[in-house]
Amino acid sequence: MNVFQDRAPLPRPTPFKVIFLAVLFCLIAYFLVVIVGLVVYPPFPALVESLRSREILFAVELSLVTSVVSTALCVVAAVPVAYSLARFSFPGRGLVNTLFNIPLALPPLVAGVALLIFYGPSTFGKMLSAFGLDIVYTPIGIVVAQFFVNLPYMVRVTRSAFETINPRFEHVARTLGCTEWGAFRQVTLPLARNGLIAGLVITWSKAIGEFGAVMMLGGATRMKTETLPIALFLNMSTGDLDLAIAASVILIVISVISFAVFERCSGDRGVF
Amino acid sequence: MDLTVADGEYFIILGPTGAGKTILLETLAGIYTPDDGTITLDGRDITRTDPKDRGIGMVYQDYMLFPHLTVGENIGFGLRQRKADPASIREEVQETAALLGIERLLSRTPGTLSGGEQQRAAIARALVLRPHVLLLDEPLSALDTSTRDRLRRELRSICRATKTTVIHITHHFEDIFALADRVAVMQEGRVIQTGTPDEVFRKPASEFVAAFTGMENVYCGVSRVLNGEAAIDLGGITVRTVSEIEGEVCVGIRPEEVILSREPFESSAANTFPGRVTEVQRNGTFSRVFVEAGVLFIAVLTPQSVERLRLAEGVAVQVTFKASAVHVFLR
Repeated sequence: MNVFQDRAPLPRPTPFKVIFLAVLFCLIAYFLVVIVGLVVYPPFPALVESLRSREILFAVELSLVTSVVSTALCVVAAVPVAYSLARFSFPGRGLVNTLFNIPLALPPLVAGVALLIFYGPSTFGKMLSAFGLDIVYTPIGIVVAQFFVNLPYMVRVTRSAFETINPRFEHVARTLGCTEWGAFRQVTLPLARNGLIAGLVITWSKAIGEFGAVMMLGGATRMKTETLPIALFLNMSTGDLDLAIAASVILIVISVISFAVFERCSGDRGVF
Repeated sequence: MDLTVADGEYFIILGPTGAGKTILLETLAGIYTPDDGTITLDGRDITRTDPKDRGIGMVYQDYMLFPHLTVGENIGFGLRQRKADPASIREEVQETAALLGIERLLSRTPGTLSGGEQQRAAIARALVLRPHVLLLDEPLSALDTSTRDRLRRELRSICRATKTTVIHITHHFEDIFALADRVAVMQEGRVIQTGTPDEVFRKPASEFVAAFTGMENVYCGVSRVLNGEAAIDLGGITVRTVSEIEGEVCVGIRPEEVILSREPFESSAANTFPGRVTEVQRNGTFSRVFVEAGVLFIAVLTPQSVERLRLAEGVAVQVTFKASAVHVFLR
C-alpha cells in the first residue's frame, strides 16, 4: 500500500498531474494495442487451427512437463537455501546472498553457454555421457536450463517470505513439543504459504517462457526439444507466422494468469 | 549468573529494557544453548536437552499465537504434538480455556481478539501442557491498565491453583507486590540482587536497585475508600491518600518525599505521625534517617538538615508526607 497516494488526483487538475497521467494512460494504451494486435492479427479460424496443430500441441505438452518438473525442483532446492539465508548466521552469509543474486542480472544466453560447456565437453559432461545420461540437446537439458536460470528467483521470493515470519513463532512451537522439523512444517511453512505460492507461480511462468538458456542447452530441434518459445522462434524463422502467433498467444495467456495469481499471493510485500 | 527457583514459586525478574531478560528466558526454554554453565530442573541437568523435552512453557509479550490456527487449535497445539486423542484434546482445551475465561473464543482466529484475550489464549496454550516451569516474558506490558490489573489478579490465582512454578519478567514493579514470592533484579546481563519483595525494596543491594525501584518505604495494608479518599490501615498507623483502589494493597513512598521535623507543624500535608529515630546513615551527599513511627520510615535528608535538627538515635521526630506522595498498588 502506497501511503503517500493522493486519493483524488483529478478534482484539482494541475498541469503536472495532467501530463504525468497522460504519459501513464498513453503507455497503457500502447501496451494493450501491441499485445492485443498480435492476438487478433491472424484470421480467427486460422488461429484456432494453428492452436490445434500437432506441433503446437507437442510444444504445449513439452513446455508443461519441463516447466512443472523444473519448478518442483526449484521449490525443493529453494526452501532450505532461502530458510538458511533468512535465519542462520554463518561465515560468508553476505557473499552467498550476493552470489545467489548475480544470476538475476546474468543474460540467460550466457547461463546457457556455461551449462552447455559443463554438460558437454567438460570432464563431468563426458562422465555423464559414459553413464548413458545425455543432457545436451535433450528434454532433460531443458529442465536443467530452466532450473538453473529460475532458482535465484525462487530463492529470492521464498527468502522474503521466511524473513517476514517472526522466529518467535518457531520458538514457541519448540517449547510446545515440536522438533525443529515439526515447527518448520506446522508453523513456518503454513505462515509462508502465500509467499511460496507466489514464488512457485512466477517461477513456473518464467520456466515456460525461458528461451535463451533452453535453446543453448536443449537445442532447438523440431518435435524433440521444441517448447513454446522455441516453437515461436522456429516458426518465425521459417515464415510460418500463424504457428508462431499461436505459440505467442498461449504464452500471453499463461503470463497474464500467472501474474494475476502472483500479485494476489505476494500481497503488498513487493518482493522485487 | 546464579539463580535458584523453588518448586511452585512465583519468581519475578525485574530489570530495565535491554538487561538481557528475554535471552535469559529463551535460554531456559532451550532456544539458545549457553556458552558455559548448567541449567538444572528437578535435579536433572537439562542444559543440552531439546526444548520439546524440557517441560518448560513460554509466553511472550506479543503473544505469538499462530495466526493460521483458531484459538482452540492454538491451545491444543502442544497436546497434538503428544499425539493425544482428539476427544481428550478437546476436553483439556475446554478446561484450560474455562480457567482463563476464554471458552467462548475457541473457534475464533487470533487476529480477531483483543490484546487481553490473546494473552489469555497464549497463557492457556502453555498451561494446558502442565509445564514444570512457566516462563512469562513481560506478559502484561502490552495491555491497557484495567486489563492488566484484572489479568494480573487472575494470573496469581491460576498459578496458585495449578501449583505452577513461574518465572516472570517485568519492568513494572506493581507486578512484584501482586505476584512475586521472590524477586531477582537484573542489570546488564547480571543478577545483582535476589530476595523477597520486601527485602529487595527495603534493603536495595545497590544504588541501582534503589534508583530502579525508587520506593524504599513499602508497606502492605487494607485500603478503604470513602468519597474518593482512601484510608489505608498499615497495622500501626493509617495513611491517607487519594485513590480508588480498595482492599488488600501495598503503598510506596519515596524517601525523598518524607519530611522530618522536631515539632508538629500546620501544613497542607495529610499525613503526620510521631516517631523516634532508630538510625542515621551518613553516606555521601545524602543521609538516610530511619524513623520508627508505627511502621519504619526511611527519609533522605542532606547532612546539613540532619545537623540542624540534631537528629540522632532516640530523638523524637514528626514524620510528614503529602497524600500525593503515597503510591497505591493492588496486592
